[in-house]
Amino acid sequence: MGVKGLSDRGRQLLLDFPPLAALREHDRKGIDEIIGLVEGCAAYKRDVALPMALDIDEQMEKEPEYFNWDMMREACKYNIFSLAIPKAVGGLADKYMISGMALAVEELCSACGGIGLALAAHSLGVAPVIASGAMAHWDTVLHEIVEEEKRGNPVLMAYGITEPSAGTDVEEPEFLEVGKIGMEAKKTKGGYVLNGRKCFISGGSEAKYFTVTAATDRSRPLETWTTFLVERDMEGFSTPRVELKMGQRACHAAELLFEDVFVPDSHVLGYEGDGMANGILIIMAASRGPVGAIANGIARGAYEHFLAWTRERRNGKRPIDEDRIRMSLADMLGIIQENRGLYINHSLVGDAVFRSAFTHPIFLSAFLIPRSIRASKPYAALLNSYYGKAFVNILFRYFIKDDEVTDMLAKASLAKFNCADNAMELTSRALELMGTDDSVERRWVEKAFRDAKLTQIYEGTNQLNRLVVYNTEIARTLKVEVPGPFKKGVS
Amino acid sequence: MIKLPEFSEDQEYRILRETAAAYAAKELGPQAEQLDLDPARWRIKEAIAKAEDLGMLAALIPEDYGGGGLDDYAFCVALEEIAVEEAGIAAVLLAHNAALLPAAMGEFKALITGVGPDAFPVCLAFPGEVSFADGKVKGRVPFALNAQECSLITLLPGGGGGTQALTVRGDAAGVEINAEPYQMGLRAARAGSIRLEDAEASNVISGGDMAGEVQRVLMLGLASIATGISRNALQKAYAYARERYQGGKMIIEHQQMRIFLAEMLAAVEQGRALVKKACEDGGLAPAMVAWLRATERACKSATDGVQVHGGYGYMRDYGMERLMRDAKYCQMYPMTSQEALLRLLEISETG
Repeated sequence: MGVKGLSDRGRQLLLDFPPLAALREHDRKGIDEIIGLVEGCAAYKRDVALPMALDIDEQMEKEPEYFNWDMMREACKYNIFSLAIPKAVGGLADKYMISGMALAVEELCSACGGIGLALAAHSLGVAPVIASGAMAHWDTVLHEIVEEEKRGNPVLMAYGITEPSAGTDVEEPEFLEVGKIGMEAKKTKGGYVLNGRKCFISGGSEAKYFTVTAATDRSRPLETWTTFLVERDMEGFSTPRVELKMGQRACHAAELLFEDVFVPDSHVLGYEGDGMANGILIIMAASRGPVGAIANGIARGAYEHFLAWTRERRNGKRPIDEDRIRMSLADMLGIIQENRGLYINHSLVGDAVFRSAFTHPIFLSAFLIPRSIRASKPYAALLNSYYGKAFVNILFRYFIKDDEVTDMLAKASLAKFNCADNAMELTSRALELMGTDDSVERRWVEKAFRDAKLTQIYEGTNQLNRLVVYNTEIARTLKVEVPGPFKKGVS
Repeated sequence: MIKLPEFSEDQEYRILRETAAAYAAKELGPQAEQLDLDPARWRIKEAIAKAEDLGMLAALIPEDYGGGGLDDYAFCVALEEIAVEEAGIAAVLLAHNAALLPAAMGEFKALITGVGPDAFPVCLAFPGEVSFADGKVKGRVPFALNAQECSLITLLPGGGGGTQALTVRGDAAGVEINAEPYQMGLRAARAGSIRLEDAEASNVISGGDMAGEVQRVLMLGLASIATGISRNALQKAYAYARERYQGGKMIIEHQQMRIFLAEMLAAVEQGRALVKKACEDGGLAPAMVAWLRATERACKSATDGVQVHGGYGYMRDYGMERLMRDAKYCQMYPMTSQEALLRLLEISETG
């Protein structure tokens, strides 16, 4: 395979992901970049995450407001906050945007689900700025993230979808149509006034920028669902509460409160009313695979600690010397590789979709304009004008086609619920085999068990994800009318 | 509300069930979250002191010796009702009563009268590798319930077929108790690991198969606690499903939610039936089967219960995720399910 010059982790990665090794024969440079990324995350895991994960988890129970900034500052050294930001703006996202993200996330979450989530939730917050083609903010907000990261300052983003009375309802078009939506954005002169609450927002209490969904008319949420870019220092915005979670505690789940927050027109991402079709659905299509990777990272972490436990000698015996334990280890490895297959499937589909956009000459030509101009106000105004928006919209719809997004969404949702269920099964079983042994490894596996449960819930419950798989891939194979995620609410 | 499975029970059990439920609702329900989050000693003592009226402080000791005089089934009924509110406290009482069990079996009756309420709850140091010679105890117990700050420890040397039980004072020389660094479930029963270096036994009790009997009672009790957890999950999830609107209807109208809830109902039925049979049979094998099945179902009930609640289920103040942690510990203690299965076949082979 020509693995000369690769580190042990790099070699292992190619063994773990055969498709990657095959791709590498065609595109050594591109794949080696990904390998580099994962090697960086492996170093972060070893040097930063593993030494502090248990302490953070315990600290959060005593003090739910506590947040460990060190883990975020350290992450800057490994460019983890640039993962989702396109190369054109100085980030790392290139030909293998989703695969790179997924592999990095698995590596991080194999150290700690909570730390991994804190780092990954930022990229989820970034995603709507990219997927909506809101290029007016690329050279300001995204550039700031990249530049500050170089200086070791984490500038974070968070994505706010969930509301107190709408969780599943805001993740799926049919449900949104009948949902009881609380977040409202009333049109006013020069912008919108936002009122309402979002809850359980990962990374919400630390982020500087937020991408938030709201309806401009709450009685017609699907047709008027819109994505806004909100800044922490906007008048009337606050994050009054963080939850005490069962697991993944290193990352806060925060409440976002909007009290007459004025958001200018320039901060509408995409168009008013396309917050579902060109917002949430594309984001979910891009991110549910990496959420599968979060689950698999948690499972893999549990497996690594369980394996270490089986080799500890107690009363003269080692669990690993028993056949039943060896067979269980094989089961666990099987689960982990199965999960990988699923999310890599999705990632490669996603890569292809985004690659067609971000490596396209027309798209790249926009970045031949000097950055000083691109970051200027008049240029942003031009992009935010009717014609500017129309141009970007046509460009992006041309690159990112609805049926491709449907494909991505199907694979992503399938990977998400399977990986989550499998992670739950693996961690649960590992504990069942360990019993109440007084080993530090048990604590790690218990934490993984608590961490894993959340992966069945966020990014759409597993039940919703199953319905999405039916509504996309299965409905298409049956040639039945797909409930119109891409027919409704698209401007 | 949901109608729970009916079992024909004698009047005395029915009354005990109601009394235990009333105690749990009054004394434990309101502070369940605190008992889990911050299981400080005085609260535990305070909570279980009130269980005396149920006869739960010396439940399995005959009344002639000042005990509660409950039979196995009555004990299980009370534990299930208590676990519906707070499984941790149910575990405290189970371990405590299992620790006193040798007094009921052996020749030694003073154990009960000799330790006042100050010694409650008694720590159960089982299972572990413990040896006893010349009045001194040596060994290690990886996970003992009620270990933290305990004043009395019951030990069972000789593992699975010990005919002896010992008590050691918690503050005796040679006893080292290390608090469980981070206990995930059943947190009220503050666990720890115990090291013994020539610690002096304060009582030695001889009788029948003490270790086997303690194991049997533990498994019956844990099966009942697990059934209580399934009930709690069912109650909470059912109530929530009727008030949460999602997807254009109350989520109780969604088929998948109804299936989750029905599974919980089946878990309660299964748990109760197996416990009842195991109590009637009196052997270790049926108690093991009850424990294996009831704890497995409780883990599922609790996990699905969290799922029904969605994001809210994952947050501590909804009291739902606690059930997941508690149920898992019911399944992990006193042995692993595979060890239990291997043992089950061993005791069921006839030659």
